[in-house]
Amino acid sequence: MASHHSRNVWIVWLTFAIGLLLSVSPLPQFMEILRPLWLALLLAFWSLNLPHKVGMVTAMFLGLAEDVLYGTLLGQNALILTLITFLVLSLQQRLRMFPMWQQCLVILVIFGLAQLVQLWLSALTGNRQPTLALVLPALVSALLWPWISFGLRGLRRRYKIN
Amino acid sequence: MGVRLLVLVVLSVALMVVDARFALLKPVRSQMSLVLMQTYWITDLPQRLYQGVASQFGSRTELVAENEKLKTENLLLQGRMQKLAALTEQNVRLRELLNSSALVNEKVEVAELIGMDPNPFTHRIIINKGERDGVVLGQPVLDARGLMGQVVELMPYTSRVLLLTDTTHSIPVQVNRNGLRAIASGTGNPERLELRHVADTADIKEGDLLVSSGLGQRFPAGYPVATVKEVIHDSGQPFAIVRAVPTAALNRSRYLLLVFSDNRTPEERANDAAQAQEAEDQKNGTTPIVPATVPKPASATPAAPAAAPAATAPVATPAKPAAHGTHPVKPASTKVPATAAPAAKPPAAPATTRQREE
Repeated sequence: MASHHSRNVWIVWLTFAIGLLLSVSPLPQFMEILRPLWLALLLAFWSLNLPHKVGMVTAMFLGLAEDVLYGTLLGQNALILTLITFLVLSLQQRLRMFPMWQQCLVILVIFGLAQLVQLWLSALTGNRQPTLALVLPALVSALLWPWISFGLRGLRRRYKIN
Repeated sequence: MGVRLLVLVVLSVALMVVDARFALLKPVRSQMSLVLMQTYWITDLPQRLYQGVASQFGSRTELVAENEKLKTENLLLQGRMQKLAALTEQNVRLRELLNSSALVNEKVEVAELIGMDPNPFTHRIIINKGERDGVVLGQPVLDARGLMGQVVELMPYTSRVLLLTDTTHSIPVQVNRNGLRAIASGTGNPERLELRHVADTADIKEGDLLVSSGLGQRFPAGYPVATVKEVIHDSGQPFAIVRAVPTAALNRSRYLLLVFSDNRTPEERANDAAQAQEAEDQKNGTTPIVPATVPKPASATPAAPAAAPAATAPVATPAKPAAHGTHPVKPASTKVPATAAPAAKPPAAPATTRQREE
């Protein structure tokens, strides 16, 4: 039973590593403002599907990694990702029943809230972004959610990640 | 679950406060960056590979053309450098006379850009030199055309550079033409700086070069920062609106220069410069006291066997008398071939006399 519990979990970590790469990969100037919240998307999927493996503590560590990469205060992105994971986990039972478009809407609202918290935090630390355009990544992420969701579900079936 | 959230939120807020106020977490951060900064390197890999492949398969004619261009450029730059050495020395002497602190010859080191900050609202870049390479916080960064920014975060093998155009960055500048001082602030647009609080009557106009004034004690003085693009006099505004374009290619340069400031005293610097000049003179086979236009028999004989390797060197020399047509050296140096030993005369001699007298 114990071996059954942790099967192929390394794939989850691999997806997080790829997420980290994607979140710093260079993009053209006009697309940078649209960069999806890759780590948040991955965390949302895995915490919905493997809640006993991926939770708020994972989110916190990934957030710390992101803070080091982005040069923000240690804990800033950690707080954001923890909040996102908490919201996803608390809506878990409902989210799993929702059709895809409704899931997208919920993701949009959760990520939008997280981006607003991000705005407040950066205002506190003195790097206030000039516009509300930073809600755009939430929109892009919500639009990406179905693809991420289908893709990772396929991956999960293929490798029987449990 | 709620309790866990509370604990984690409190923990991250505590981390943020500690990180903002104290230096306690710096070692943790640098250890983490040791591993994590590899991601920038990995995301930069396709670019590197592309460059490698491109240079492998670059056609011969292209390479020859590029080589030719670089050689010409090198010749021009070296010509300019020779003049610079003399000017530098003169500058040191004059400053000695004035008893003021000299500013010459900062040490520079080349660094390479390995990543951009993913946040579109900040202008920061990651370079491949860090604390272990001797980089310090606040160190100025240049590219080939002008100032780019300063180091704001140190990691063991990488560091983060804040560019001039970031909205949180300002740099003290002066107009090169007349020394008018101002402060150039970033606007968040990579092609735009703004001069704050410039009086409406100030003598500043389109096309003026702005150089760093060194007043903030952070950037060395005299490096080009920007050129003025437009000056708007709006009678409704208390100050003139001055917009400038950075001379450095802030979003294109891949190779950057890190400036290591020199903390020797002016006297030491003057001595060092003098010694370097002396060494240079000795290498060229003349002593600085003897006027080089007079062919010295002692130096002429050892130079004679060396005439063959030296024959390649004079490529640069013909250009120099031409550039200083009014200079007294010119008739002297043209006269030299008429005297006893034309081939034996060290070819670098006219160069040294010119430097002496300038």
